[in-house]
Amino acid sequence: MNTVTPSIESTQIAEFAQEVRAALADLPADEVEDLTDGLEADLTESLAEDLRRTLPEPVAYAAELRQAAGLPAADRARRGVLAGMTRTCTQAREHVAEAVRRHPALHSVVDFLQVLRPLWWLVRAWLATWLLAAFGGMTTGLWFDGAFWAVMVALAVVSVQWGRRRWTFPGLQGVVVAGNVISVVLLLPVLDAALDGGARGDYDAGYADGAGSVGPSGTGQGLSLDGQPVENVYAYDAAGNRLTGVQLFDVDGRPLVPYRDVDMTQLLQTPAMLETGAKVYNVYPLPVTRMTRDENGELVPDPSPDPDKAAAYANGPFLKVPAVQSPAAAPEVVATPNE
Amino acid sequence: MDATQLLKGVLDVAVLAVVEDEDGYGYDVVRRLRAAGLEEVGDASVYGTLRRLYTAGALTSYVVPSEEGPHRKYYGINAQGRATLELQRKVWAEFSATMNHLLTGEAA
Repeated sequence: MNTVTPSIESTQIAEFAQEVRAALADLPADEVEDLTDGLEADLTESLAEDLRRTLPEPVAYAAELRQAAGLPAADRARRGVLAGMTRTCTQAREHVAEAVRRHPALHSVVDFLQVLRPLWWLVRAWLATWLLAAFGGMTTGLWFDGAFWAVMVALAVVSVQWGRRRWTFPGLQGVVVAGNVISVVLLLPVLDAALDGGARGDYDAGYADGAGSVGPSGTGQGLSLDGQPVENVYAYDAAGNRLTGVQLFDVDGRPLVPYRDVDMTQLLQTPAMLETGAKVYNVYPLPVTRMTRDENGELVPDPSPDPDKAAAYANGPFLKVPAVQSPAAAPEVVATPNE
Repeated sequence: MDATQLLKGVLDVAVLAVVEDEDGYGYDVVRRLRAAGLEEVGDASVYGTLRRLYTAGALTSYVVPSEEGPHRKYYGINAQGRATLELQRKVWAEFSATMNHLLTGEAA
């Protein structure tokens, strides 16, 4: 035959192989790789041996390859990884639906879970709000501050409407499925973080912070006065003289630790060391360093601290306070301001 | 009768048979099948069959780097493949005897 080229360029073979791979693109990438690995070498060799051959039609070639490998025929309408995933999901759902139809026990379980769906709609709205709040800097607690409640209500409405298949738009199904998967994956870690964050505020965590080996950057909520953080405490004796190394506890023996959040107070407390070697934060007054963030966002000591404030941090608000008149009269004196 | 239709049903056992004694890469297997008289066998069908037999656990696979060209993926038979081949041999012997008997009227 005159029309046949005696030798086919390697570029043509490469092009052909590319087209074959494109025709298989609805399959998983590693499947395509396995199926066509060595295709160029095989073609080069077969064409070199048989000079009359021309390259076959790539789509038909891919179909033959696919059929012989026992893989499903190409879905011409939808190709690509996403379509493949959607197809897999649909098939899985059909299998599940079939199983549920066959087993009455499974049927009642599914029925029961159906009733709980609205609860899930709210849970995912809460989760989304929590994640948004986390971006806003919130790391603690199950509940939100102010504006985030409005966000949660809005998200809950959207979540419920989507759950009821209202407010739909093309592709919503995919968004919901992806969102649900993400929610399921993140729910436990977020709950853990939220509950852990909540626990940080109580005294168990305070004690752990105080008695444990928490690094200087470790933070935790401790003492507050009228909602304002108390980052240090200055004690004076009955004569009105300043005390140092005062260890404070509550009635249950829990150490009264200061409020330690350097981003809020700009103050970094240095823990005191006990004779046991433990570093604790309930020994007052604690040495404090005024901190600032440098251009890289790293916490560094303020290069030019206000000398007056630095002196106040070290010596307390007063050098001396009025002496207590009589120790015996002290309880009455304490009671007076409340009357 | 279209021989390619018949071939589809026996390609698995034919491929197992030609790698029984010696491992082979894709086109190598095609060449052996054609040399054995299966002229019509399509190379894509053979490559797909190799892949499927590998996935089914009847073949092992390994890559041999080549200095001059691209690397070659070799396929070799394993214990499961040999068991399959033995079974298929028996099935084929019975089936072909039955067909011979049916078509020629001779005693099987």
